[in-house]
Amino acid sequence: MIAELRILPPLAIARFGGAPTPMDNYDAIVDPEEPLGYRRLQPVETLEVDVDSGEIARAFVPERLSFSEGGEVRPVAPFLELWALTDGGQLEPLTIALLQDAGATPAHVRWRVQVANRKAARRTGDEADRIEADSGELADHARHLLDGRCANFWPGKSIPFGHVQYVKPSAAHPQVRLRFTPAAGNVYGASRTRPAAGRPADPNVTDVVYDGRRGRWLGHVDTDNTSTVPAFIYRGDSEGRSVGYLDDGCDGIVRASLTVAGRTLSAFGRVGAGPPTYAPDALPIRSVADELEQALFGPTVTPSEATLERVEEIVRRAFETVRLMNTAAMNRGGMAAHDRGTGRRADPIMAPALVDDIAVENLHQSLLAALRSGSAPWFADALRDFDEIGDLSDRGRRKMPAMMRGADGRHLTLTRRQIDLIRTLVRGPVFTDPGGEAT
Amino acid sequence: MTIEPTNLTAQLHHRAAGNPPSTLPEAAISNCFPGLEFDVRNVWRRMFEGIELHEAHGLVTRGEGDLEGLVGLELVRVGEARLTLAVRGPTATAEDALLDTTFIEWSNALADVLSTSVGQLVTCHFAAPPERPDPDPPIVATAELRVRPLMARSDVTNEPLALIDEDVAEPGELTQSLCSPWQNDYRECGCYYWAASRPDYVNRESTEQGPSIGNNWMDRSRQPKAYEPDNPADPRQLDYVDLFRDWQGLLRFIVGGRDLE
Repeated sequence: MIAELRILPPLAIARFGGAPTPMDNYDAIVDPEEPLGYRRLQPVETLEVDVDSGEIARAFVPERLSFSEGGEVRPVAPFLELWALTDGGQLEPLTIALLQDAGATPAHVRWRVQVANRKAARRTGDEADRIEADSGELADHARHLLDGRCANFWPGKSIPFGHVQYVKPSAAHPQVRLRFTPAAGNVYGASRTRPAAGRPADPNVTDVVYDGRRGRWLGHVDTDNTSTVPAFIYRGDSEGRSVGYLDDGCDGIVRASLTVAGRTLSAFGRVGAGPPTYAPDALPIRSVADELEQALFGPTVTPSEATLERVEEIVRRAFETVRLMNTAAMNRGGMAAHDRGTGRRADPIMAPALVDDIAVENLHQSLLAALRSGSAPWFADALRDFDEIGDLSDRGRRKMPAMMRGADGRHLTLTRRQIDLIRTLVRGPVFTDPGGEAT
Repeated sequence: MTIEPTNLTAQLHHRAAGNPPSTLPEAAISNCFPGLEFDVRNVWRRMFEGIELHEAHGLVTRGEGDLEGLVGLELVRVGEARLTLAVRGPTATAEDALLDTTFIEWSNALADVLSTSVGQLVTCHFAAPPERPDPDPPIVATAELRVRPLMARSDVTNEPLALIDEDVAEPGELTQSLCSPWQNDYRECGCYYWAASRPDYVNRESTEQGPSIGNNWMDRSRQPKAYEPDNPADPRQLDYVDLFRDWQGLLRFIVGGRDLE
């Protein structure tokens, strides 16, 4: 019996691209002998979906990775799998066989995808500026366009947010899944006169969709403390007035349902579409996963969670960001410039000799070596606590992570859970015997 | 393959067959100011039942019923958890001066409240937006508000799932405070927090003289290798219009720190 459905991953990220073929699959592998080296990108099994049948036409390992095709970026188009909580008390992939056991077939599974772009509505406060797409309930295996419509668009105009396809389960690939393919990443425009047919006069935009007479987005100006932080993050003219540009990014909800034995089971997951990861062999130091883990599990860890592997991964991710920054320049600009904006004295953050990229790499190498040898208790004190973001003294600004910005616009701190993980490891006993006694 | 239903970490990080690692939340920037994939600050806007908050600070933007009177005030403390801090540092005339006040981003500021008080009433303290920096503004209103769970719950066990609840963010709300269009902020913003996704310094080479040489990722030409800070007005670098029209053709993927040819 199926007790519950879940969609995994619960938050899937798609990435823009106009190329016809979605990005292939790959692993980003850390070399244990060179923990601060670049992750090696290795092609792995990729699923190719037949556009017409909706079936997986082939599963293959690409010979080499290519992020572009014909001058356009290949979109990252995630699969969302439907999983079932079964009698065994485990989650397992929902398959044709599992459906049959429950007296159902893949045709009994229903999907619905609702996504939106509310960027203009967030600024204007006008619900009529919401751009929304709804696939409606679907159980077939055709591609369904996510057509973003808006009350303040010109008649007949819309922004395509990409498409979804319920992948047809087959004998070779019996799992139930849906694929979300995002939009190309285009810019759309606004006008106060009905747009003419054909290519827009403004070469920046793919189409003119927004009716500037009906809504306030064209000409909007951020004026008060309800504005986003930072404010004015839209395309504006020299007076800060919005020129009415929109994009085809979105986020939203994917629903799945299945009626078996007179009982309807349902699940939902989330999707979003954003820019490509232009350094695919690097990961951000503080990620959405870190925020969700803190929200799920709290700001502290248990000693068993504080493993060297996890702490090394945080250090590695910090280095992966720093390595792609010009630290010498950021020592004078970046957060140093932010600080000057508060009226702070204009000083570089670090002594110049410390921010040379070789010195920064050596610092992280030394840190990893110290972690591995259990001799890094100093690292606990070098971290910036969440309630130290207002400390712009020389000492406060030199804490780690250094020279980066947090969600509050201040010097970056890690999540409290990440910090606790590091501190629990570096302040804990160096060795622990199998019985759990510290030695 | 099976997953323990209570293993939320495994579910959050589950990489579906065929999905590249860039589809996972660990590949998405969360030190959002405002962010690239999501502005994850939006997750905390509805954490207290009856009110809605600004995604970036304590301003109450909506209140239900009797709580409507809180609109325009700022939530500055929840129980013992402070949401604001003094910003202090040296100036030209003093070694330790009050420079500003700042809100602490939600994820860290409310971590204890979320960890201990979901479903419970907590005392929320509100102040008027200060006209000048004031780390301890006078409290003008308090309210007992119930803490809303941010995560959806299992229909079977009622245990939390690794899934942002529907009541927390409607479609479009996780990205609503990002730039429109995204290309504008992608060009506008400095690179000091998202370089792992939007690189800054590439094709780096060490020199015998000491400092390295390399390119700003936005350089139109990779020769000469002479890094200049981000400046859309610099004709040597890509500008806003370039990205509006042809970001796909102009931006280069960076692997191993270098342009992927």
